[in-house]
Amino acid sequence: MMRGASNTEYVSARVRTRRAALFADEDYRKLVRMGPSGIARFMEESEYEREINELGTRFSGVDLIEYALNRNLAKHFGDLLEWSEGRIYDLVARYLRKFDVWNVKTVIRGIYTDTPPEEIRTDLIRAGELDDSTVDLLLEVDTIEDVIEVLDGTVYHDPLENASEEYEETGALIPLENALDREFYEHLLEDLGRPEEGPDAKYVEFLEAEIDFRNARNALRLARSGADLDPASYYIEGGVLFDESELSQLVADPDGLIDHIADNRRYGDRLSGAISRLRDADSLIEFEHALDAALLQYADTLSSIYPVSVSSVLSYILAKEREVENIRAIARGREVGLSESEIEEELVIL
Amino acid sequence: MIENTPALANVALEAASTWEASEETALAAAALSVGLSALAAGYAERGIGAAAVGAIAEDSDNFVPGLIMTVLPETLVIFALVVVFII
Repeated sequence: MMRGASNTEYVSARVRTRRAALFADEDYRKLVRMGPSGIARFMEESEYEREINELGTRFSGVDLIEYALNRNLAKHFGDLLEWSEGRIYDLVARYLRKFDVWNVKTVIRGIYTDTPPEEIRTDLIRAGELDDSTVDLLLEVDTIEDVIEVLDGTVYHDPLENASEEYEETGALIPLENALDREFYEHLLEDLGRPEEGPDAKYVEFLEAEIDFRNARNALRLARSGADLDPASYYIEGGVLFDESELSQLVADPDGLIDHIADNRRYGDRLSGAISRLRDADSLIEFEHALDAALLQYADTLSSIYPVSVSSVLSYILAKEREVENIRAIARGREVGLSESEIEEELVIL
Repeated sequence: MIENTPALANVALEAASTWEASEETALAAAALSVGLSALAAGYAERGIGAAAVGAIAEDSDNFVPGLIMTVLPETLVIFALVVVFII
């Protein structure tokens, strides 16, 4: 862990300004009525001006929007890492490693499906801790063994190597992807302990919430898909909502799962609105969006308890991701000709 | 430290009762109050200044509010200076 003075005040001030510049819910309602070129024009007049101008000559339509969103996301999250020093860097970097996991997964999937490196490159989000040269190296290699080799020296090397045996036996990517996810979540809470009060306690609380929701989501997906997979192999440790055996039981019983969340002391009260939406939600998509909205609200609550702490950075990261996902959903939805109300269902709006 | 405070206070009071309060000790006490308050103001401004620079970096319109907020703890030093004038 990095030691030394951290500049939490500086980072929070910058992050809050950027948070205020995100699209408001009314903007989404405007965007839903526009076509892809209208959305691109709207983005050009906002935060995304530079990215749209840079990429405008090479791409058009929905691709332009998508690449501009990815690049903007990477720029902002890269900035976060650049500004932060000391302990806050450590806390932010841990969380942003999820983009490293995303990138490594994308590369592995690309190699598995023989996708040309140029196409993989456009799907990467360079917001994590892996530096650009490592990511470029990952794009150049042809086999999954070489990917593991390139990652030598990072936290992902050992778990991937352990999982690669199983991958070779079964030929399925699931063991590799699970290994990456687990590695990410295990490092999240590493050597933080269970602080009782102060900003660190809130940080841990938030990460536990994220793990809990991830578990809930996995459980629901398993329950709905009816796939004959062992829920225990998807279980992520560190949450407070489920233990492994509870989760295995609740997979068979989605209503019981929601009751279990509602009865929980920590989430029950704060998420009561979201939980009633969960109960009404028929589709899995709505359920997942309600979970996303709940996590976002949770992060906002935590960041108002300790305004000058890492919580405000986390709440910004979540809000920014939500914005990117919403704009992408609108653009993709318009492209395939969904109606306005169908697209609005796809959005995560508080 | 905290549990020893009463004992420390007693020692200080006994020492004080034997001392003659001279011009020099009064001046030294005033100097100490100004010095400590300046230190406290500096510490407070550290956080505010960092946040203000962050806000200004995002939007330079924040320069004036940022500057005002940053120097607010300076009032601490002004209050301490009052002590210098009343002794």
